[in-house]
Amino acid sequence: MDRNRKILISILALLVLSSVIAIVEISMNMQQKRGPGISLAGPAIGPGVGIVRVEGPIDMTGSSSPSLMSRGAEGIIARLNEMERSRDIRAVVVRINSPGGTVGASQEIYEKLWRLRKKNIPLIASMGEIAASGGYYVASACNYIVANHGTITGSIGVIAMSPNLKKLFEKIGIDMRVIKSGRYKDILSSFRDISPEERQLIQEIIDSSYRKFLKDVARGRAMNESDIQPIADGRVMSGETALKHKLVDMLGTFEDAVDKAREMAKLSEDAPVYDEGASSLEQILFRMQALFSGGSLMERELRLRHVENNYRLEYRCLP
Amino acid sequence: MMLTQLRSLRWADLFLFALLDPRALYRQIDRNEPPSFILSFMVPAAVAAIDIITLSLLGRQTPFFYYKITYGWILMFIYQSLTVAVAASLMDMASQFFGNGGAVRRFIILINFSLFPKVFILPLVYIFHVFSFAPIFFYFFFSTGLLIWSAMIAVQGISEMHGVSLGKAAVVYLFPAILIWGSLFFMFILLVICGTGYFAG
Repeated sequence: MDRNRKILISILALLVLSSVIAIVEISMNMQQKRGPGISLAGPAIGPGVGIVRVEGPIDMTGSSSPSLMSRGAEGIIARLNEMERSRDIRAVVVRINSPGGTVGASQEIYEKLWRLRKKNIPLIASMGEIAASGGYYVASACNYIVANHGTITGSIGVIAMSPNLKKLFEKIGIDMRVIKSGRYKDILSSFRDISPEERQLIQEIIDSSYRKFLKDVARGRAMNESDIQPIADGRVMSGETALKHKLVDMLGTFEDAVDKAREMAKLSEDAPVYDEGASSLEQILFRMQALFSGGSLMERELRLRHVENNYRLEYRCLP
Repeated sequence: MMLTQLRSLRWADLFLFALLDPRALYRQIDRNEPPSFILSFMVPAAVAAIDIITLSLLGRQTPFFYYKITYGWILMFIYQSLTVAVAASLMDMASQFFGNGGAVRRFIILINFSLFPKVFILPLVYIFHVFSFAPIFFYFFFSTGLLIWSAMIAVQGISEMHGVSLGKAAVVYLFPAILIWGSLFFMFILLVICGTGYFAG
């Protein structure tokens, strides 16, 4: 019996060994296939069009939700970096469905797109239901902008907001004790009125960000700042109106944008499209990962929100 | 205690009997020497891992593999264990129809061990994968063969459990499949009847 047991143990050991060899082989194959670090979803192969999605409010880190993997500026830039390195990506469609977001995050995406544009990679912006303010800022870095007839766009401007809760605090008898190192350290505090000097200080930042916005849009659209300024007063407009003001190049759908990208990159009509969508199974497993690594995605989102401060300057469309 | 049991290699008898003598396997389970309930779940766990590795080896190899082999394995293991529990309960119910006593715990252990041959799918398919000789075909071919082997282990074990003929044991073994497929068939028929009535109306 002992001999039989030992034979069985040997068989089990062989099974474990074959599993390990298989895992090593799979890992090695993946390394070879990945090339310079690209990991694009979809079965397509060969030269094609890459899709990057700018969804929801733009901020630096965004959500870790698997369905919105590249929402934050960092995720979007990481995706653009992958595309830049890939030899298969000949044109990029930036699908925008965003009311804008923080100034810094919008500028980072803009600059990244501008770098790609300078490398002669055709960039086509496709606007969804809304691509306003920071959303339009991002789009303006592209060579060509496609908007739907009813897309809400424009809203070129900068905004900073802070609620004044002073009277409410007085009413319920709360008195904030603030110890600060300088007179402006609690600028935009919700617990007191804003002073004229503070207002002036914030206004200067707003004006500076606005000038940068205007300058970058003019650069992206190859227009004069003076041509854009009359409509850069924060107004929102439909895709049709934006076309009249030359803020977009064409009215059309996402499909039209992809076709335009193929045309600009001189690709065939059936060239593959590399989108970033994850399958349902991938989403389930990503959620499990979030669960195992501590807390739900919602909790993580709340933690991120918790560290936000009042100093949010935004290129954002607020209805 | 556990280390002593592990060193004694008596647990290996369960796996050995699963392959060579299913009737002896059941006798071992019945004696509960060594305790085999928790140990038996090693088999679905191993089968789940081996299945994922084999399919990944044959399919498209992407970095998603690391998710499959970690979280995917946990999901597969839970699914396999639940399937075994449900199937064992239904088999126990069927055997009680034939006038035998209830033994759902022993059924679970037996069904778990009966899955053991399925772990050989990886080394078997690997050979054909290395030589690139119709690995997909041989995956299905060996899967079918190992499934039949698993079924034979379970049927012989059930036969030994209740001292019934192999035919009766086979009916007990097939009862969950018959029940589920029968239900699905009748649901389909009902759906067709309702659909026809709806469109005709």
